[in-house]
Amino acid sequence: MLILKIAFRNILRQKRRSLLTGLSMTGGYILCAWSFSLVEGSYGNIIDMFTLDHTGHIQIHKDNYLRKPKIYKTINNRKALETILASNEQVSNFSPRVFSPALAYAGKKTSPVRVIGVDVEQEPTTSRLAQKVKTGEYFDANPDSDGYFKAMIGQGVADTLQLDIGDEIVLISQGADGSIANDIFIIGAVVGNRTSYDRLGVYLPLGAAQMFLSLGSDVHEYAIIVENKDDNEAVAAILQDEMPELVVSPWQKVEETFYRTMQADKQGNEFTLGIVIFIVFVGVLNTVLMSVLERTREFGVLRAIGSRPLEIIKMIFLETMLLAGISVGIGVVLSIPLITWFTYVGLLLPEPIDMSGIEFQYMKGEFSWYVFTTPMWLIFMFSAVVSIPPGLRAAHILPRDALGSH
Amino acid sequence: MTSVIETKNLCRFFGNDETRVNALQDVSISIEEGEFTAIIGPSGSGKTTLLHLIGGLDNPDSGIIELSDVNIADMTGTELSDFRRDHIGFIFQSYNLIPVLSAAENIEYIMLLQGVPARTRAEQVREMLHMVGLDDLGDRRPAQLSGGQQQRVAVARAMASKPDIILADEPTANLDSKTGISLLEVMRELNQTKNMTFIFSTHDEKIMDRATRLIHLHDGEIELDERKQA
Repeated sequence: MLILKIAFRNILRQKRRSLLTGLSMTGGYILCAWSFSLVEGSYGNIIDMFTLDHTGHIQIHKDNYLRKPKIYKTINNRKALETILASNEQVSNFSPRVFSPALAYAGKKTSPVRVIGVDVEQEPTTSRLAQKVKTGEYFDANPDSDGYFKAMIGQGVADTLQLDIGDEIVLISQGADGSIANDIFIIGAVVGNRTSYDRLGVYLPLGAAQMFLSLGSDVHEYAIIVENKDDNEAVAAILQDEMPELVVSPWQKVEETFYRTMQADKQGNEFTLGIVIFIVFVGVLNTVLMSVLERTREFGVLRAIGSRPLEIIKMIFLETMLLAGISVGIGVVLSIPLITWFTYVGLLLPEPIDMSGIEFQYMKGEFSWYVFTTPMWLIFMFSAVVSIPPGLRAAHILPRDALGSH
Repeated sequence: MTSVIETKNLCRFFGNDETRVNALQDVSISIEEGEFTAIIGPSGSGKTTLLHLIGGLDNPDSGIIELSDVNIADMTGTELSDFRRDHIGFIFQSYNLIPVLSAAENIEYIMLLQGVPARTRAEQVREMLHMVGLDDLGDRRPAQLSGGQQQRVAVARAMASKPDIILADEPTANLDSKTGISLLEVMRELNQTKNMTFIFSTHDEKIMDRATRLIHLHDGEIELDERKQA
């Protein structure tokens, strides 16, 4: 307690200098926390965009379907798989899908398309497909009175084939059994816009797609949404153990290129902030060194009356850490309202950003444990490091020499 | 009488070959328990150097300094710190109290280093303050005390670790005559009532008058070592 008192009073000795040093540490903390919040918030938004648009938090496939998709690489024991998914408390929703490239005809025009068969009921719980309907209505699983199934097409397909709601589209592809697949569907809706991931997609009800591609009840993919998106890798690992014959991939694997780019960008940001913190701590180092220099005689006395070198180092360390603690404390208090505002209100963008047909008008931050604690540990770590050289200097002061200094 | 500390053929020089100054040459003394010793001599005679060597603040170039059959001249780093903490009390000319601590805390600090429990520390601080006549001034910082009062705190601090010996380097040099006498009376009383051993380096005749032993140093050598009745 007395040691803490000494440290605290030593900080108050040169109030103005301590204030300036503390302010620079507080500023460094707020800058870091705010920057982390924005980076995490922005990436969080982007991750939500594509995970809720089509990827899901986890995907399940047969073999390496993700890298080399083939129509015959199907998941066939669906009942057992769905039982496992339903029994996992971390899994909130899942949806089966089938995929196949196809050639689409409408009138005299043709276009390559991607057939995506989705479960009409389950898909809206897993992706934003229903929200992306721009014109028409979200389809149902049953054929119309003439026996035709509804299809929802991407904006690119609608533009190329000049299709409107109610028009016919002919799809030609290859069935899983090697047969020629061809059928007529009625356009029920247009989804997304020309930049959407599925601009060349043709959504079919799952049953219709399975029939069209001769897949029976098999599917190519399960997309899964988990309760806590940050736990998706752990949940994926658990599911993988439970279904070793399938490949369970977290979105980080599914969108590996994006994930690596994001990590590189984050590291770049951390490096930049590291430089800012380094500059702040050059100032802190100067302050602590000055303080040690001014107190040479005092350290000499402390050594003379029996303080061990380690106790002197401890004292300098404690003083620096105490100043850092107070600065970080103030930084936390000041950054809470700032980050709260950025998280719940956000910065209004001059132009909204359109992602797959969904508009984002605000740049938002993230309010999380990580955002507040990471800069905290950074500041404490740097404080500990910069306290070492002055501490060593003070600890090795020779009492005989120091007592003669003024 | 029991010897508290003994030096044998102590030598200390400063500078290099060309500028060499022999601060101490073959100094051999034995300090007995309860002695009130004054080391006297002109400036540059080696008084402070001798005190620093006895107190483990400096290392001799040759010779032995023995305390309880242990040669402190061989000690380094932590060993030396622990030796100073447990066996030596220091009183400096310019008081050298820790400015951010109150009088009581200055006394307490050394006991904290020794690992004395908080309750015992508090009791002993009260006792020490009473002993040096500063019962009501324990909460004051050094800057709020007069020179004499600061030096009394320094005496109490030196006593706090229950050392074998107290080394006082010109303790009255910065005090006026009256305050100096008053401080000396405190130290003499401690010497007589607690049998505490004191070694002073001094020019002050008041100390010389009260000392039971005078060691005259000249150019780093003992010129005269006289014991007298107090």
